[in-house]
Amino acid sequence: MSKPSSKSKEFFIDIDDETQNVNQQSGYVWEEEYKRSWDVLQEDEDGSLKRSIDHLQNRLKRKRLLRDTSTIRRGIIRNMFLIIDLSEAMMEKDLRPSRLDLTLSYAEQFILEFFDQNPISQLGIIVSKGGVAERLTGLSGNPMDNIIALKNKKNIDVDGEPSLQNSLELARSSLIHTPTHGSREILLIMGSLTSCDPGDIYESIEDLVKDNVRVSIVGLSAEVQICKYICKRTKGTYGVVLNEAHFKDLLFEIIPPPPVSVAQSNSKLVMMGFPSSVNQSSPYLCACHNKPVTSGYTCARCNSNICDIPTECPICELTLVSSPHLARSYHHLFPVENYTEVPWNSATTTHCFACQISFPSLSERTLPKNLETSSGRYNCQKCNQHFCIDCDVFVHEAIHNCPGCLATSQNNLKSLMGQVNGNFENYENYEKMNLS
Amino acid sequence: MIDLKKALDAGGHCLLEMPSGTGKTVSLLSLIVSYQMFYPEKRKLIYCSRTVPEIEKVLAELQNLMKYRKSRGLNEQFLGFGLTSRKNLCVHSEVSQEKWGKVLDAKCRNLTASWIREKVDLYPREEVSLCDFYEQLDKADTKELLPDGIYTIEELRDYGKENDYCPYYLSRRMIHLANAVVYSYHYLLDPKVAELVSKELSKDCIVVFDEAHNIDNVCIESLSIDLTKPNLDASARSITELSKKIEKIKERDKEKLDEEYTKLVEGLKVASQSRDEDIFMANPVLPDDILKEAVPGNIRKAEHFVTFMRRFIEYLKTRMRAQHVVAESPISFLQHCREVTYIERKPLRFCSQRLISLVRTLELTNLDEYYALHKVAAFATLVATYETGFRLILEPFENDVVPNPIFHYTCLDASIAIKPVFERFKTVVITSGTLSPLDMYPKMLSFTAAVQESYSMTLTRNCFLPLIVTRGSDQVAISSKFEVRNDPAVVRNFGQILVEFSKIVPDGIVAFFPSYLYMESIVSMWHDMGILNEAWKHKLIFMETPDAAETSLALMNYRKACDNGRGAILLSVARGKVSEGIDFDHNYGRAVIMFGVPYQYTESRILKARLEFLREKHKIRESDFLTFDAMRHAAQCVGRVIRGKTDYGLMIFADKRFGRMDKRSKLPKWINQYITETAINLSTDMALVIAKKFLRSMAQPFEHGISLWSLEDIESKYHNNDQNVAKNGFTNRRVSLKD
Repeated sequence: MSKPSSKSKEFFIDIDDETQNVNQQSGYVWEEEYKRSWDVLQEDEDGSLKRSIDHLQNRLKRKRLLRDTSTIRRGIIRNMFLIIDLSEAMMEKDLRPSRLDLTLSYAEQFILEFFDQNPISQLGIIVSKGGVAERLTGLSGNPMDNIIALKNKKNIDVDGEPSLQNSLELARSSLIHTPTHGSREILLIMGSLTSCDPGDIYESIEDLVKDNVRVSIVGLSAEVQICKYICKRTKGTYGVVLNEAHFKDLLFEIIPPPPVSVAQSNSKLVMMGFPSSVNQSSPYLCACHNKPVTSGYTCARCNSNICDIPTECPICELTLVSSPHLARSYHHLFPVENYTEVPWNSATTTHCFACQISFPSLSERTLPKNLETSSGRYNCQKCNQHFCIDCDVFVHEAIHNCPGCLATSQNNLKSLMGQVNGNFENYENYEKMNLS
Repeated sequence: MIDLKKALDAGGHCLLEMPSGTGKTVSLLSLIVSYQMFYPEKRKLIYCSRTVPEIEKVLAELQNLMKYRKSRGLNEQFLGFGLTSRKNLCVHSEVSQEKWGKVLDAKCRNLTASWIREKVDLYPREEVSLCDFYEQLDKADTKELLPDGIYTIEELRDYGKENDYCPYYLSRRMIHLANAVVYSYHYLLDPKVAELVSKELSKDCIVVFDEAHNIDNVCIESLSIDLTKPNLDASARSITELSKKIEKIKERDKEKLDEEYTKLVEGLKVASQSRDEDIFMANPVLPDDILKEAVPGNIRKAEHFVTFMRRFIEYLKTRMRAQHVVAESPISFLQHCREVTYIERKPLRFCSQRLISLVRTLELTNLDEYYALHKVAAFATLVATYETGFRLILEPFENDVVPNPIFHYTCLDASIAIKPVFERFKTVVITSGTLSPLDMYPKMLSFTAAVQESYSMTLTRNCFLPLIVTRGSDQVAISSKFEVRNDPAVVRNFGQILVEFSKIVPDGIVAFFPSYLYMESIVSMWHDMGILNEAWKHKLIFMETPDAAETSLALMNYRKACDNGRGAILLSVARGKVSEGIDFDHNYGRAVIMFGVPYQYTESRILKARLEFLREKHKIRESDFLTFDAMRHAAQCVGRVIRGKTDYGLMIFADKRFGRMDKRSKLPKWINQYITETAINLSTDMALVIAKKFLRSMAQPFEHGISLWSLEDIESKYHNNDQNVAKNGFTNRRVSLKD
């Protein structure tokens, strides 16, 4: 049986290759990129492409989900500097519309997402051009400050070459003053392939290692040895973008907090204040910006007025957060386990446990020959409930709790309520922030 | 592996082309060592490499291998070490300070020559300095000198220092006990050295020539001699010295000369029974060609010999006064010589030996002063010995302007020097990353290969990308052809390639030019056009020069610039030092650009003579040989970037002519299989797009695929092929070793 089929397969491949060669000879070089895209698609028994397309889409959806879910100690209080290369290399147009424009728009998204996922962390921005590094914003817990700084046209004109060493040193000098319970991180977006350094960069790297600073770099053009070395040495990640979407993926990989190494994890109690929100009819001056506002918060310790949290009280330097912020950071510590794909031969359920949408059933069509293929159901390892792909994504990206597990265990119900409330409140805050 | 095993079994020679950076050395070593250990006769392994660092690398590999074999529970006696010159091995406190190899050799002889050592015995009161290390070695028992193991050159020195043995002579004496010896080609090919070192090697040795793509040139060089005017002047001075010495000795010690005379009458064989340290000037002729007869009468007496040599030197000097280029065969040279000076052929042939014997009799030290005279004697001997395959060329002017007469005595037939090697040893393995086209080598070296194979590479990813750029962005064809090479459009397009690639390639770029001359002219033109200014915005620029010290400084700084992220371009020459033996792995070479096809300088008379010879003798067309030679150098240059599976790099061939089939087909198979149809006729901008994409995809995290065979795979293969049992074991070991 198998012999003729394999033969015919080979025959097909031969023909394929030949036609391809003919195409290539007459075709243009710029067509080369697309030449194999149809090889991925395979017809199923009915001759339809739907299933393989669905499969591809599902795979794409789930790609970002499959994270490490083991409970490890993570530093949810993060101090990060975002360093943006503003050299002439950023004017290249190989990423649309240009490296710089794309970087800025992604940086904005990154900052929002970063604070959304890590509400009690702080972030600052450094730019590097013309061989020098310049600090746009210091460490702060307010996303808007950072975004406004990036939007300012004066700050983002390009010039000359970047300086790796200068920008890393500048970031380090700001980071070493942060308390040890927070992690120290640098995220560098590097478009240039060269760096203009005043001294030995290896010394700076050793300093970074000594001060427990983690450097992650996203390269926009090609792999540079020194960047690779920095990341390896400081236990960061190094990625080079393939295209626009990959660039975003690489950036957003940084958003979940990194694991804490044993050395720096000397547990410590951190004093935090939970300010109460204030709404007044007459405007008053806030302590942070000295601007008249009508709504805001009052510091739990010194009663000064603050317009937004999370932040550090400008008067008494108390860290001010709200309980939903803490709760949201909490899910990084205990992530929901990845759901596993359910093959056809154990596809027993008819509806998604969460949204009650009906699964493609077995009777609808003849079963595929290979029962190992995915049936569009995803199984939670703990509660053994099946979910659809959209719920899977939603559970892992947004709510961070498995509905199945919560429903089966009565004890967890209360915490579920807490979580959901927290989420709602956050959602309101988020909306507010977007409006302002 | 199977092919190599076949060759070993059959006792034939083999020619293997394996891609660089794929563990060529270790696979060869592991099979041969297993083979040696498996069979009781323990054939000796002679591994020839090119440079000292390469020898070191081989020894390190061998050490790893033996460690692995030991961890697998094989406890075996194995002795392996490297052999190199005194300069690298000497541990004597004073002598080893010398920088020049020749001076160092001479100083060493001053301390170890037999007559000096005798002197100590005779006149104990006189102060004669000797080398302690050598003395110690001499007293010790040869059998227990060196315990089994693998010694790198450094370890050999340390061992020598510890035990007060001279490492140089230690290694020389241990050759016949060793299981594996690693040394330079010259020790086997150059008859001057081979006589001393490799004489005692038995017939069933396994000889491996690694990095052997240049083996024909090495063979030719080892039998070629260039004489210059200063050489002749120096040798004339030495002759005067010699005659003075003879006078002196005559007064003091007449018997000695008489004794020598009778010895010479008896024949040469007697004279050669001396100790190894006394052999200092080797005969340039191959052992088989030495006539086993007595030195002819007219040069037996020392004073006669001196006048004979003086006359010959005078003759050469008059020949050098010629104002035009002369090319003649050795026979016509001898004819002319006889007519003018009445010097016959036969005594000329013995010049070299006679000189050796004379020097020994006179107990001369400081032999470096007699170097020129030795060269002339060697010249005389060679001229008189070989008739075919050689050519004498007299060039009165350097570059056709500067008067600097040079007498080239060039060997045209590479097979002469290597013939005794092929005849003597049962198995000779010639291997390199670039041997294509394979049938050229057996032709040139005149041997029949039992196995000749070119291996392709299986890679988990396409880690190199060959691109052939045939025109610039303005669609002007680019070429280093003589007629267009200085055309501003071509030069600008070459420059454009450099600038554009310096923008997109990270870290290091190496650019190769066909010659120093062309590089200089093109770089100065780039300077005028402002292209250099443009390029060093992105990367620093370094240049290779003919001066070795300058080049190594440039290389050092180049590496530094690649390491700290500044990025650098190295401009070098396809036949220079950089193109051979220096690796540009990982960040040191992310791209190689070949500007033009590295043809040899075709106006050279030596090359012309050789081409003519090849056409007549081997029926190789001139253009075929030139292309072959150019392409192997091009392949050698671009092969520098890939040094392993984790490495990646661009290979850019910037010349219209690379696109042609006759050029491409001469590239090694492992490069050729990755040249796609789309990549053979690119303009600069198209090449840039492809290169950018390649660099991005290569920068993605790389999972090491499973490319190794497990034990089961091998066993199933074994059942299929019904192979030799022993073979199975070897492959197995090799595979896990690469884990």
